[in-house]
Amino acid sequence: MSRYRHRRTLLWLLVPYLLFVVAIPFVNRIDPVVLGLPFLFVWVLIGVLVSPAAIWLASRGDPLFAANEPEATDVD
Amino acid sequence: MSTDATVAVAIFAVGMVGTIALGILAVRGRDTDLAEWSVGSRTFGVLLTWVLLAGENYTSFSYLGASGWAYGYGAPILYLVGYMATGYCMVYLFCPMIWGYAKRHGLISVSDIIAHRFRSPAFGALVAIVATIALLPYIQLQIQGMGLVVSAISYGHIGLKTAFVIGFVVTVGFVLISGLRGSAWVSVLKDALVILTILFLALYLPLHLFGGYGELFSRIRETKAQWLTLPGHDSPGLGVGWFMSTCVLNAVTFTVFPSFVAGYLGSKDANTIRRNSAFLPMYSLLLLVPMMLGLAALFVVPKLETSDLALLTMVTRELPGWLVGLVGVAGALSAIVPMAVFMLCIGTMWGKSVLGLGRDDPARTKRMSQLVVFVSGLVALAGALALPNALVRLSVLSYEGIAQLVPAVVGGLLWRRMTTAGALAGIVVGEAIVVPLALGGHDPLLGINAGLIGLLANVLVNVAVSRAWPAADAGGGRFRRSAEVRHEPAGTLQ
Repeated sequence: MSRYRHRRTLLWLLVPYLLFVVAIPFVNRIDPVVLGLPFLFVWVLIGVLVSPAAIWLASRGDPLFAANEPEATDVD
Repeated sequence: MSTDATVAVAIFAVGMVGTIALGILAVRGRDTDLAEWSVGSRTFGVLLTWVLLAGENYTSFSYLGASGWAYGYGAPILYLVGYMATGYCMVYLFCPMIWGYAKRHGLISVSDIIAHRFRSPAFGALVAIVATIALLPYIQLQIQGMGLVVSAISYGHIGLKTAFVIGFVVTVGFVLISGLRGSAWVSVLKDALVILTILFLALYLPLHLFGGYGELFSRIRETKAQWLTLPGHDSPGLGVGWFMSTCVLNAVTFTVFPSFVAGYLGSKDANTIRRNSAFLPMYSLLLLVPMMLGLAALFVVPKLETSDLALLTMVTRELPGWLVGLVGVAGALSAIVPMAVFMLCIGTMWGKSVLGLGRDDPARTKRMSQLVVFVSGLVALAGALALPNALVRLSVLSYEGIAQLVPAVVGGLLWRRMTTAGALAGIVVGEAIVVPLALGGHDPLLGINAGLIGLLANVLVNVAVSRAWPAADAGGGRFRRSAEVRHEPAGTLQ
């Protein structure tokens, strides 16, 4: 797994998991209603907008992105 | 025929002829060798990779099933945008690595990657067969989806079965000749039409029918509140646990889903895939529209017999013929593009991994692949015409069945000590858990996606077997160059 060490910005990739897995039990509700939308739908909308940003942030500061190289494999 | 119907059918006909022409012209002036036909010579930039991968996510299911689920169940359909977000994280992490491995060794499909990694053409052939069983129902679903779209937008003037045949002819018409590049260019047309029509519907319909989204949702809150949270209205156990486990399972499945792999193997470099993994989750915004409109249909066309027609029934009732025609072309292309890539993908897997058993004769492989493309389309068409439900029942298995290939493909490349026996044992145990649960109606099991349960068992068995019976010299000379391996006899799978 050495090809994933020293790439700390990859931690941003946890954000979509927090939004769509970890948080789901807490956001599965109708209230509070925001701009007429029930809360679960608001949460999903936020998630859809935030996730691409998180993945983009992961690529900033990723040395393999800067080098445009694929990860090496453990076997050939 | 009414004026609206005539206009809609005429626009649809022009769209289909244009599609075949665009698909065929896409490869004008290029070599038509195996690498070009199967993976576009690995030259696609961000745009073509984007439309190909988006085509995988935005199929005719988005028009039919997404609005149909929203209409029938409500909130559970949101899983579709959830797993897309988590899925693209996995794409960022693992797909450039798989792409790099395939490029170094000239591999063109998942089965080809497995055959090479485990030095076992027989293992590759087995994977090709498993993947085909998973993909065929999807082709049939798309043909049937196309039938529903076309008969709806022609106001019933084009019959279901005629529409099935049109879908088959148009798809085969370009994919045999122009392969992945043709599919990508047809995707460009498809995406342009989908984005335009969906944005229009998103803005126009709720405003026209309810006065806005706030009004729509306040009506749902008053009378249909069950639809607004998990597990939704009358759903088969699609609760919070199912939502969470499905967002985890489907995300890892993205990386190896055979037709998705075909899409990203065509990329020209690693960053094309990484950039797309940031752009593509935004496409989910478009997926939210048919879901909202499915909810709107609860009030506009209540008591539909086929919930899948929730969106299209509203469209034909509320919009002029020319717009219905455009929606029809967009919906039909949303069936044709994934169908083309599914068929291409089955063709390339069989041509090289099953019928060729790893033999290195690209010209012959391509001819075999084209034959299999045609046959697989024919099988799906026959299924749609004769047994509309039998094959489709298998589609509940597709994602969860394909998920069992993740440890062998992704894990196999990350962990050199994984043995053929370990990978194979893992897949067998995983499928043995998933298949009976899914076909027996026990999925989700105790609120958890059955595919995830299978995947966990799969990984445990894989690691245990690989460690208990390690390959003799796993650390050193076991891995040779691809050129040498091709001369090995078939059947190293023991």
